[in-house]
Amino acid sequence: MATTIHDDLFAPDVIADPYGYFGRLRAEDPVHWNARYEVWVLTRYDDIVWLIRHPELFSSEVFKRDPRPAYPPIPEADVEMYGFVREFFADFFIQHDRPSHTEMRMVTHSYFTPRAMEAWRPMVRAAIKDLLDDAEAKGQMDVMQDFATPLPVLVIARMLGLPEQDRRFIRELAQKLLFIGRGDLNRMRPLTDGINGLVDYLSPLIKERLAHPGDDLLSVLASGETRGAFSRDEVVANAVLLLLAGHETTINLICNGTLALIRHPEQWALLQESPALAGSATEECLRYDPPVKSLQRIAADDVELRGNVLRKLDRARWFIPSANRDPAKFPEPDRFDITRDPNPHVAFGSGIHHCLGATLARVEGQEAFSALIDRFPALHLTTEELEYQPSITFRSLKALPVTWN
Amino acid sequence: MARALRVRVDHTRCVGNAMCTTIAPGVFKLNDDRQSEAISPVGEPEEIILKAAENCPVSAIRVEDAATGERLF
Repeated sequence: MATTIHDDLFAPDVIADPYGYFGRLRAEDPVHWNARYEVWVLTRYDDIVWLIRHPELFSSEVFKRDPRPAYPPIPEADVEMYGFVREFFADFFIQHDRPSHTEMRMVTHSYFTPRAMEAWRPMVRAAIKDLLDDAEAKGQMDVMQDFATPLPVLVIARMLGLPEQDRRFIRELAQKLLFIGRGDLNRMRPLTDGINGLVDYLSPLIKERLAHPGDDLLSVLASGETRGAFSRDEVVANAVLLLLAGHETTINLICNGTLALIRHPEQWALLQESPALAGSATEECLRYDPPVKSLQRIAADDVELRGNVLRKLDRARWFIPSANRDPAKFPEPDRFDITRDPNPHVAFGSGIHHCLGATLARVEGQEAFSALIDRFPALHLTTEELEYQPSITFRSLKALPVTWN
Repeated sequence: MARALRVRVDHTRCVGNAMCTTIAPGVFKLNDDRQSEAISPVGEPEEIILKAAENCPVSAIRVEDAATGERLF
């Protein structure tokens, strides 16, 4: 079928409502060649799971191997900075294929097991209580700034063993790295500054951990150098990754999930009556309005998919919001139902790159939603004018102002 | 002699992360859907099988004592 769907992935209507735009692609042109950004856009659940479970066909070495220029475009003068940014991000373990991906992931994988993360639940709960105590005293809050943003930084900084007083500094630097998923013309400068700042901050700490290892996550990561899985540069880059990856994603989980619960008062009431539903409610939040909007692979060879030939080194981008609302996989996909079971959403991806921090995110989401409902049963929005960051990587609210009076 | 184990992978949970096939390749193998299958409960020592189960990111692996049914993971 000929499609007249426009290719501007950053258009205001697509940013505001990705479900309409990508839902239409899913129905009409599920493996769509986006000529504007020279990228294949995948929108069906089964295609996406197949793609991400075939890492030998679709490489994760995007920054290393993508032969095409930055998209959206950047100024000619920034091309050198883009080279630096690409080289830095290429050291992330998630930007590697097998066998080096396995070697690198094994360094920290055991730190994040479901059993190990469960042990952090009391700490997460205590951090949430502190933040909500502060909010309660004010009588209103921006869920984004006052709750969702400080929580994951506090948790990951404590896991890494970083000093408490560095939290604000870390957050400011991490904020700059979020520009990677945004379309801003001048994004290369903040990205470069963010990388340099975090590298300068983390390098001496890593050196110290190598000399005197502790039981914190930064020591675990640094041990990857001792066992030959990482170079020093790779240890530093992956420390930046751990700070960053557990950050924007969890913020979005908490904000998007809180918004979904507020907009479905009968589901809010159900969770209030049955706190044991916190687990399945969090899964439904992850499905219904996922924190990560899309990720990219590079075709490692010519691959045929639904009658299209994806050529070697073509970009293939897979859209999680669309997969999670695919009617071929989920009955009544647009219905927000916190008792949904089974709920095989792909908010954390799938296959060998399935999110390393998935269980931690789940614990944070479960505790955050439970605490909000328990403490502020009358929580409601103070505005209906909600805006999203112009990102194709993240589904990020700019603010979520609420009150409970 | 080592006790006999029963090892199962829950396919409603398995996301094909393949940590089990990396840690215990003698026991787990990916199928055509790239989900893990337990092909032999004697392919690795018990401690390796338990390590694979513990490292499953979605708790899809269940290990039992075959004789008593006791859940080991």
